[in-house]
Amino acid sequence: MAVTRKLRAAIVGAGIVGAASAYFLSRAGFAVQMLDAAAPASGATGSADGAVSVASKRPGPMMEAAIRGVETYRDLHGAGIFEGVFKERSTFMLAQDAAEDAVLEAHAVALSGNGVELRLHREDALHRTVQNLSRAIRSAIEVRGEGHAIGYEVTSRLIAASGATVARGCRVNGFRTASRSGSLDALETSAGTIEADLVVLAAGGGSASLLGLASALRPRKGQLLVTERAPALNAGIRGSLMSCRYLMSKDSTETRMTGSGRRFGLVVDPLRTGQFLIGGTREETAERGTDADAVRRLLVEAVALVPRLREVRLLRTFAGVRTATADGRPLIGRVRGFDNVLVATGFEGDGICLGPLTGKIVSQLARGEPTAIDLSPFDPARFATQEQAA
Amino acid sequence: MRDPDVLVVGAGPAGISAAAELAAAGLSVLWIDQRDRPGGAIHRQPSAASTAIAFGPASVRNQWRRLHARFQGTGVSLTGETGFAGIDSDGVAILEQRHSGTTTCVRAKAIILAVGAVERVLPRPGWHLPGVCTAGGMQVMLKETGSPPRGRVLVAGNGPLTLALATQLAAAGNPPVAVLEASDPFRRPSHALALMRSPRLVGEALHYSTRVAFARIPWKRGRRVVAIESHGGALRVRSVAKNGYVETFDVEHIALHDGIRPNTFGLPEGEARPFIIRAGDCREALGAVAAEVDGKQAARRVIARLRGEPAPKPHPMLNAERRAQDTLASLFRPHGDAVPADLPDDTILCRCEGRTVGDLRTLLAAHPGISPREVKLNGRFAMGLCQGRFCADNVAALLEHGGETGPVSADALTGTRWPIRPIAIASLIRDADDPNSSTPQ
Repeated sequence: MAVTRKLRAAIVGAGIVGAASAYFLSRAGFAVQMLDAAAPASGATGSADGAVSVASKRPGPMMEAAIRGVETYRDLHGAGIFEGVFKERSTFMLAQDAAEDAVLEAHAVALSGNGVELRLHREDALHRTVQNLSRAIRSAIEVRGEGHAIGYEVTSRLIAASGATVARGCRVNGFRTASRSGSLDALETSAGTIEADLVVLAAGGGSASLLGLASALRPRKGQLLVTERAPALNAGIRGSLMSCRYLMSKDSTETRMTGSGRRFGLVVDPLRTGQFLIGGTREETAERGTDADAVRRLLVEAVALVPRLREVRLLRTFAGVRTATADGRPLIGRVRGFDNVLVATGFEGDGICLGPLTGKIVSQLARGEPTAIDLSPFDPARFATQEQAA
Repeated sequence: MRDPDVLVVGAGPAGISAAAELAAAGLSVLWIDQRDRPGGAIHRQPSAASTAIAFGPASVRNQWRRLHARFQGTGVSLTGETGFAGIDSDGVAILEQRHSGTTTCVRAKAIILAVGAVERVLPRPGWHLPGVCTAGGMQVMLKETGSPPRGRVLVAGNGPLTLALATQLAAAGNPPVAVLEASDPFRRPSHALALMRSPRLVGEALHYSTRVAFARIPWKRGRRVVAIESHGGALRVRSVAKNGYVETFDVEHIALHDGIRPNTFGLPEGEARPFIIRAGDCREALGAVAAEVDGKQAARRVIARLRGEPAPKPHPMLNAERRAQDTLASLFRPHGDAVPADLPDDTILCRCEGRTVGDLRTLLAAHPGISPREVKLNGRFAMGLCQGRFCADNVAALLEHGGETGPVSADALTGTRWPIRPIAIASLIRDADDPNSSTPQ
């Protein structure tokens, strides 16, 4: 009698993308081993703003991916996997003056053109919908059906549901090539040789050295703040508040740069716990500190949106270092030269939103199925001028 | 506020002697404390409205006279009601001025942190109930107001401070119904003999124990508090002796204390940009006399550093104090684990977020090999308002019982951070030095 053994998948990186890949691969029948140089959610996932949102995306592949990304959250929430960790809420994009109003209207057209459900609120109607907003805010578009998820909580859920084992503090030293050309059959790691039929690289910035993609991937820091619990204030704010200047901050052509080469884009997100998350900066550095200048500036802007935040105490400041690509789109797909190595990294600030969707795509690629979105804009080979992996 | 050469945080024995030494050397010093006057926890001065009670043995009172003369002599002045919120990634110290509701940022060449020690309190069923406080907390209230809490008081836990509090409560007119001590120092004669090498500690021991005996306060040794329950508007405290004998006490207040540890929560430390060192009990909890010497030592290290001279050698007196404290610790060492592995599941571990021992056990069972950081984030331990001050040591101890990870440090849960304590957003956005900073809307 023939004994078929399960195919073995080794996932490098236990952030949200690795964890979601583990979940979908294990449902597809793989025996999954995860490894992380530190621990689950210890990188960008563990210090993310948690937005599961289409609102700030520009039309194009990233907007389409984000729409599918939010749907994947709803599916997993419906399946019970994300019970208690995914908060469905709207995003309100706010305009303070005529110029911002114009930006907002153009953006609303783009979003609704992609089938996103919107509502426009003006003046008194806005202040009835969202309490405690500054009267200086003139209008807002409400993007419905979005949500918030804390990266480390989602990651923990996905790992537990996958049944995968996780090797913590485990570094990849090299790949072992199979006799069959064009495939790997093992990872050489600090914890010994791990044999695998499929390898998924989801190690953020750590993927760069493994793939020789150092020039395509760069660290980008974001500072974030969390307040104490303020349940009464929190309850009156029905969704995430995003200054429409955030669109400008995300746009690389816009120059809201300060002398230190950093951009600010304000988000005030009422969390499930009754706390507020306030973000954030985008800075071209891998250093993880937070500084008084940035924190004060974010708080001044947050108080300008929601004056009653003055009454609340700041509990924590932290910074995450995300892995960004030169063109702002992640790398998702096969690694050229190998038929059993997949890469999924470079999500910058969109890892939480796109992580579960990406896990699903990884599993679809592994089984040779059609993928949930067109992957050509995300093809890793677009940066493939550099030398092949060691 | 002008950038000083040196920022000294804390006005207890270590901070006073550090600030005075730096000022005497001609350096500009910004010396801050969250209180409005020097003294620290040990020499806490009564608030203006209350009557002073002379506390403690002569050695403590003599130290205060000496320290007081020292800082008055050097002319260094305390900037009071100012909290230290931490150092940011640019090396800037963020200070919170409580009286004006503002913050200010200063750049110092060096920083001496002398923020003392904090009490350890072990988790026990019911330790979160109203009416339960720490012995140190009750002591501070007593020193500030001059009056004891009303109703029956029980003092319980481990270490000599419980006796000091009992003495002070008796002096203030409300002696506790008993002092329960987890260890049994009388059964450790060899350690008691070793204590004789430190005449000052013997003097302090005699001072407190004779007063406890004179006030007829029962000192019950080898007793652990295993449960505290609400009972008819009061607290019913169940204690168990080593031989299994159970005794309950009905009281209005219970003061708990299980030793002290350096107050290092969230504190930075480093040799570069700025040069940051710790002094006194927040470096190593050796008591007030050692802290005074250590503060001076820290100041001399900073002076040497700023002048590019070699660092001075550690003071030999600190070794003697360390031996004495070790002896005292051995004398008062309780039997068994500090945090019992068999605590009931519903025992609160994190009082800020209401997380229990059972929550921790469930998390560990579901995630084999889980790291302390994951325990923090996914278990929400050390994530609340106190940022781990009350739970980090206890969670770390239970993680070690869990066995897979080896020794676990509370620092793995609390980390280095700013703000060190929660800080009002209103204060943070109002810069005391910048009239153009945000004003109330």
